[in-house]
Amino acid sequence: MRSRGRAAPPRRGPGGRGRVRLIVAVVVTLAFIAPIYLMLVNAFKSGDQIRANPVVPPLPPTLDNLSTALTRPDNLIPIGLRNSLIVVVASVALLIPLGSALSFYISRRRGRVRAVILAALAAGLMIPPQVILLPTIKILTWLGLDHSYPGLILSNLGGGYLSFAVFVYAGFMRSVPDEIVQAARMDGAGGLRIWWQIVMPLVRPATATVAIFLSLWIWNDFLNPLFILGPLQGQTITTGLYLTIGQYSVDYGQLFGIMFLAGILPVVGYLTVQKQFIAGLTAGSTK
Amino acid sequence: MLRKTFLAAGLAGLLAVTACSDGGGGDSGGSTLTYLTFETPSLTSTFWDNSIKAAQAEAPGVKINRITAPSTDRDAYAKQLQASGQFPDLLQSITPSNFVGAGLLKPYDEAWVDANFLLPQGNALKGEVYIPPTNSQIIPEVFYNKELFAKAGITGPPKNWAEFLDVCAKLKAAGVTPFTLGGGDPFAASMPLVGVFSADILGKNPNWLRDRYAGKVKFSDPDVVAAVEKYRTLVSGGYFDKGALGVKYADSITQFTGGKAAMYPMGSWFLGSAPKESADNFGAFPWPTDDGSVVIPFVVGGSMAISAKTKDPEGATRFAQAWSLNPANLKLLIEGDGAFPMLKGKTLADYGVTVTKVFEDSFAYVTADNTKVNAIGWATNDDALPPGLNDQFYAASQALFTSGDVKAEMAKLDQAWTTATNGPLTQGRARTPSRGPGPLTRT
Amino acid sequence: MLSRKSRADGGLALLAALALGLYLVFLVLPLLLSLRGSFTNENPLRATNEFVGLRNYREMAGDDQLRASLVFTLTLAVGVTLAANALGVAFALLLNRTRLSYRVMRTLAFLPQVLSGVIVGFVWQTILTQDGLLNNVLMSVGLLDEPYPWLGTPRAALFSIGAVVTWVLSGFTTVVYLAALQSVPIELNDMATMDGVRGTQRFRQVTWPMIAPGTTISVTISLITVLKLYDIIAVLTGGGPANSTQSTALYIVRLAFTSDRLGYASAVAMLLLALSAVLALAVTGALRRREVSL
Repeated sequence: MRSRGRAAPPRRGPGGRGRVRLIVAVVVTLAFIAPIYLMLVNAFKSGDQIRANPVVPPLPPTLDNLSTALTRPDNLIPIGLRNSLIVVVASVALLIPLGSALSFYISRRRGRVRAVILAALAAGLMIPPQVILLPTIKILTWLGLDHSYPGLILSNLGGGYLSFAVFVYAGFMRSVPDEIVQAARMDGAGGLRIWWQIVMPLVRPATATVAIFLSLWIWNDFLNPLFILGPLQGQTITTGLYLTIGQYSVDYGQLFGIMFLAGILPVVGYLTVQKQFIAGLTAGSTK
Repeated sequence: MLRKTFLAAGLAGLLAVTACSDGGGGDSGGSTLTYLTFETPSLTSTFWDNSIKAAQAEAPGVKINRITAPSTDRDAYAKQLQASGQFPDLLQSITPSNFVGAGLLKPYDEAWVDANFLLPQGNALKGEVYIPPTNSQIIPEVFYNKELFAKAGITGPPKNWAEFLDVCAKLKAAGVTPFTLGGGDPFAASMPLVGVFSADILGKNPNWLRDRYAGKVKFSDPDVVAAVEKYRTLVSGGYFDKGALGVKYADSITQFTGGKAAMYPMGSWFLGSAPKESADNFGAFPWPTDDGSVVIPFVVGGSMAISAKTKDPEGATRFAQAWSLNPANLKLLIEGDGAFPMLKGKTLADYGVTVTKVFEDSFAYVTADNTKVNAIGWATNDDALPPGLNDQFYAASQALFTSGDVKAEMAKLDQAWTTATNGPLTQGRARTPSRGPGPLTRT
Repeated sequence: MLSRKSRADGGLALLAALALGLYLVFLVLPLLLSLRGSFTNENPLRATNEFVGLRNYREMAGDDQLRASLVFTLTLAVGVTLAANALGVAFALLLNRTRLSYRVMRTLAFLPQVLSGVIVGFVWQTILTQDGLLNNVLMSVGLLDEPYPWLGTPRAALFSIGAVVTWVLSGFTTVVYLAALQSVPIELNDMATMDGVRGTQRFRQVTWPMIAPGTTISVTISLITVLKLYDIIAVLTGGGPANSTQSTALYIVRLAFTSDRLGYASAVAMLLLALSAVLALAVTGALRRREVSL
C-alpha cells in the first residue's frame, strides 16, 4: 500500500526549465480544450459568422442564438433542464442511502455472501446498456411504469450507478473505526441507527464523490431517457439536444446556442465543485 | 445537515415526480392525438404548426400533440416509440410495410381514396391504402447547372448513357466537378445507384422486385452487376469529388446550388431547395438509359398513417383527411418541397403556386405518359424492400465508392435479402425505411 | 433465537435488501430476459416469438457485419486505451506542479469528461467534416491542398473516432494518474535522486511501477468505456461510411430497431457482454497481479 508521506508535487522556482515546462503545459492544455473553446465562442456568433471563421472570438457577441433557443415554441431548454434536474436529484438522493446502506451492510460481513454480492455488483459496471435496454422497458411496462419519471428513476437505481456507489463507499468504510461501531452497539443502537448517525457523517467525502459523479453521469445519460421517458413525457436536456441536432438544420448558430445552454450547467457545476471531484477520484483510485 | 438535506431532496424529488407523472398523463386521453413529424430545411417547425392549424380548422374537436423525429429516419423512431409503448396516433410519411405486419396501422376508406386521388393504388400494400397518395416524386432526377454546362461547351442535357459519359468527360476537361454527392448521408449516397438500377433493370422489367421476392432474379445476376458497374464507371472516372463520402446531405445542397459541381442526382424534393432567384439556371433530366428511352423512377408519397390502436380513430381519420386534402398545405409542399400533387380534379394552377421552370419541366414527366417504375429503395407499396435492406443498399453504394468489387457487394445484398425474408411473413413486405428527407413524398 | 445483533440490524438489512432487490430487478432480470430472448426469433414486425434454440448463435458465426463490427470495436478499444493512457501519464507528469497555473490546467484537463457524448460528437463533427474547421485551418496554413475526408473513408473515420474518444478519455486518465503520482512516497523519489537515477530512467524504474494501482484503474475503465460506447459514434458518423465504423453496440441497436430482429440482437448483445467481461477480467487480473508483484 502507500507508505508514509506522500510526495507533494515538486516545487520548482521559475528557473529556465520551469518556464519551458510552464509554456509547454499551457500550450498543450489550450490545444486540449480547443473544442470546448469552440463551443463557447460559437454560441455567440451568427450562423454565417461561424461558417466564415469558426475560430475567432465573437466580436461583437450576439445573444440571438441563446434567446432563440430559450424561446422555442416547444420550450426545449426550460423543459429539458427541468426534467433533467428532476431525474438527477431524485435518482441521486435515492442512490446515496441505498448504496451506502448496502455497502455498510456488506462491509461488516465476511465470507462468500459478501464476495458474491461484490462480484454481482462489479458485473453491473461493465454491462453495455444496450444489452438490457429493451428488457428493462418490458419490465417497467409490467409494473405500469413505462414512459414515466418514476420508471426512469427506478431503472437508474438498479444498475451500474448503484455498483459505483457501493464500491466508492466500500473504500471509505474501511476508515470507519470498528471501536465506534462496537461502542454504539453496546449502547443498544440498531444497525440502521449506527449507519445513519455514525457512519454517514464519517464517510462524507464518499457521499460527495458519489453525488458528484452520479449527478454528472445521470445528467448526461442518453439511451435510457431516450427510450424510457420518450417524447410524451418531455425530454431531458441531453435527449432533447440529440433530437435537435438530428434535424438537419444548417443553422449552426442555433445549434451551438442550444449546445451551450445544455452543456453550461454541468460545466459550471464541475468548476464549482472541482476540488471535490478531483479529490474524490484521487481518493478512489488510491484506495 | 447533509443527511437532512438528502432526505428532504429525496422526498421532494419523489413528490415532484409523482406530481409530474400524474399531470403529464400517459397516452392521450380524450381526443389529443400524437402526431409524429420530422423537420428538414424546407419542412420547418412553423410549416408543421401552420399545417396542423389549417387542418384543425376543418376537423374541429381534435387536439394535436406534435412530436418530432430526431432524424429523417422516422420509421426507426416510430419503432423506438412502439417499443417503449408510445406508438403515435398519426405518423407522417412512414413506411407502412414496416408496421402492418404487427397490425399497427389502420387503412383508409377505399371509397374516400378513390374519390380524391389520381393514383388511388399508387402506394397501396396488398390493396390497402395506409397513407393517402397526395403527392409523388421522382427519385432521382439529375439536376444540372446550365451555366456550368455552357462553360464546358455542352449544348443540352444528355439523352442516353453514351452522351451522359460524354458530358462528364467534357465537364472534367473544363475543370468542373461533374457530380455533387451527399455521400456522408447514406440515403443521399445511394442516389446514383438508385438511378442506374431503376433505369437499367426496372426499366426493362418493372416487376423485378416482385420477381426477387419470388426468387426468380438476384442482385448477383449479370445484368444487375453490369448496371451497377456503370456506377463504378462514374466513380473510377473521377467524376465525383474524392471526398464525397464525407459530405453531408445539407452540405451537398449548398455545394450544388453554390455552383461547385455541375450535376446533382437527387430526389425531386430538391426542387424546393433550388434558390428562387437563380432557379432558371438549373435544369433536370431523368437518369439516362442506354437506348435513350425515358424511364421515370417514380414514387407515390403521401401524408400520414393512422395507428390501429388510437383511442380516437374517428377524430384521427377526420384530421388526417383534412390535412391531406388541404390545398394550403399542399401549396406549401409544392413550393417548399418540390412535391408533385396528385389530387384528383386539380391542376397545378388550382393551388395558386409559384413554381420554377425546372419544377414545371419535372412535373411534366409525371403527367406525361411514359414508363414509370417504382424507385428501388423508396417505394412503399408492394415493391418495398424487406427490413434492413434499405440500409444495406445504401451501405453498398457507399462501399462501392471506394471498392470496385461489385460482385461481392451484390452478393452481400442477396445474403441480407435472404436473412431478412427468412421466416414467416404475415402481411405485406416489411421494409426498413430510408432516411429520406423526402417529406411527404415518401412514396 | 435471533441474537441481539441480528435483530438490531433488521432495519439496515432491510434497506440493503431493498438495494439488492432493485439491482436484481433492473439489472439481473433484464439480463436474463435478454439471454432468453437470444434463443428466440423475436421480431415485433412479424409478431413472431418462438424458440429457435441456437440458431441465432450459429448465424452469428457467419455474420460478416458482426465480424467487422467486432474488429472495429476491439481495434478502437485497444487503440484508444493505449493512447488515452499514454496521454494521461504524459499529461499528468507535465501538470504535476503545485503552482496555481498548474492547478487551473489540471481543472481544465478534466473538462472533456463533463460534456455529454452528444455534444462531444457534434462539436467534433463540425471540426472534422469535409467543409469543417480542421480542413479550413490546414488549408489556410498550406498544409493541405484540398479538403481531406476525415470522416469520409473507413480508415480515416476509424482514426477520427479514435482521436475523439481518446480526447474524451484523456480527461479521465490524466486525473487518475495525477492522483497516483501524488501518492508516490517522497522517500522513494529522494532515494532515486540520491542514487543518481534521473529522467526517463527514474520514470521507468521508480515512478511507473509505483503508480501501478492507478494504471490498473485507468486501463480497466478505459477499456470498458470504449466497449460500451454509443452516443459519440452515433452522432459523429452514425456507423458510416458504409457501416465501417459500426461498433458492435451500434450494430445491436440497429438490429433491434431498424431490422426488428430482437432475438438476434439479444444474441449479439450476449456476445458483446461476454467479450467485455472476459476482456475486463483478464486485463484487471493481469494488472492487479502486476501491482502485487511490484
